[in-house]
Amino acid sequence: MNGKSMHWVHRLAALGLVVGLVAGPAAAGSAQSVGGQAYSTYVNTPLGFSGQSPLAVLPAVSGTDGAEADAAGSALSVAGALSSDFLNSITSGEIGTAETGAQSTASAASINILNGLITADEVVANVMSSADQSGAFSNADGSTFTNLAIAGVGSLAGDQPVAPNTNVSLPGVGYVVLNEQIPSGDGVTSSGLTVNMIHVYLQSLVGGVLNPLTGQIIGGTLQTTGEIIVGSATSRVAS
Amino acid sequence: MMREHRSLIVWPSLIATGLLAAACTDQPNVNMAPNRPSYWLTPPPAQCVTGKWTGGGRIDPTGNRAASNYDNVDEPAGGQPAAPDPAPYMTGKVTFGFNVFLGQDANGNCIVQKGEIEVNGHAQKRAWHVSIHNGVDAYDGRPVYANEFSDGHPGGVCVVVGIPDRPLPDGYMTARVNPGQGRETAQFEVCDNDRGGRQNTRSDAMRWRVAPLKPGETGPSGDTGLTYLTGGNIVEHGS
Repeated sequence: MNGKSMHWVHRLAALGLVVGLVAGPAAAGSAQSVGGQAYSTYVNTPLGFSGQSPLAVLPAVSGTDGAEADAAGSALSVAGALSSDFLNSITSGEIGTAETGAQSTASAASINILNGLITADEVVANVMSSADQSGAFSNADGSTFTNLAIAGVGSLAGDQPVAPNTNVSLPGVGYVVLNEQIPSGDGVTSSGLTVNMIHVYLQSLVGGVLNPLTGQIIGGTLQTTGEIIVGSATSRVAS
Repeated sequence: MMREHRSLIVWPSLIATGLLAAACTDQPNVNMAPNRPSYWLTPPPAQCVTGKWTGGGRIDPTGNRAASNYDNVDEPAGGQPAAPDPAPYMTGKVTFGFNVFLGQDANGNCIVQKGEIEVNGHAQKRAWHVSIHNGVDAYDGRPVYANEFSDGHPGGVCVVVGIPDRPLPDGYMTARVNPGQGRETAQFEVCDNDRGGRQNTRSDAMRWRVAPLKPGETGPSGDTGLTYLTGGNIVEHGS
């Protein structure tokens, strides 16, 4: 990690992850609550580890208040796994008399994953959740890839979205899910959404038997041995 | 070039919004745009003295007024100058998050009592931040004046943070700009144009203006123009 910086207030916000995401309803003293977080990168592989960074977590919001948290990093590098720069994470949320909402944005630029296996000029993860008398919903409008390329698979020119939960096999490595979307809530009184723009799952074959005649492994199961996430944003509301 | 930018941003703005500041003091709820119909059928904007605003997301300004995401109708509302002021147009992806609480100072002026504003210009790889506590801009120690007014959308309301109601260095506000921990004169405007309705209309808008106007300031000049959100939400959430 090179030149990474984070405001002290954001470090406090990071430490308050549980408070921000769980204690919101208690603080509000009612059913209304909002939560959000965003981070640009996460690496957990045999090649190296880097936690969710830079992490912005929405502080507890109560009454008819609102809050904002942001964090930034100039660059990140985990040798052989991920390099990126211009890392920014923002989350905000509000509880109002007529509507309650949260919105989060995470971005990363100059992305290089697994020594060029996946590259992109930039990704932006953008989510919002809203609840009012008519119901609750979330969306990921504004989440895009800029000049995404996957070696041996193809590339996307310009800045554009990718269909949610696009799964691409990475032979010998595992697979990647682009625009991974994880919804939550009932859509009536609560709603939430997490978007991971690039989620690489590293996999290894475990438990197979080597066939001495063919040199191939017979049987065994694929197990996830690591993961890399670039551009993760979460928002949620309950009314 | 620098002088041109300064005159562009100072003179039209001072004339127009100087009048607005006085009007804001006397009538904080009044639509400042002349000859504009009044839209008070949906919930009226909060009193300037206690208004709370929160939001975030993404805009994609193009500098093209014919683009579908350019909010031509609302840009002049509240006496705001036509973009780009200062030149040039700031284009490309811009992500942001904010939380602003309005109030009044001892003289009845509309001020920001507390607030955080984060704006990331992805094409420029610049990150601006404004932090206001106890009515004072953390980066210059001065009050930040604001104005709230109705716009051209039914029920729509906008807030401008950092109005130039008096000569520099008191007008506008000061943002930190990274990389480099520099300082820059800035103004932030958002419009909540779907109040009381579903929050996925993509009619909310944001505008960011920056220029190195004060001695020692660094950073580029630019103006996004008032641009509809690509994703995210702007919420005026009560008094």
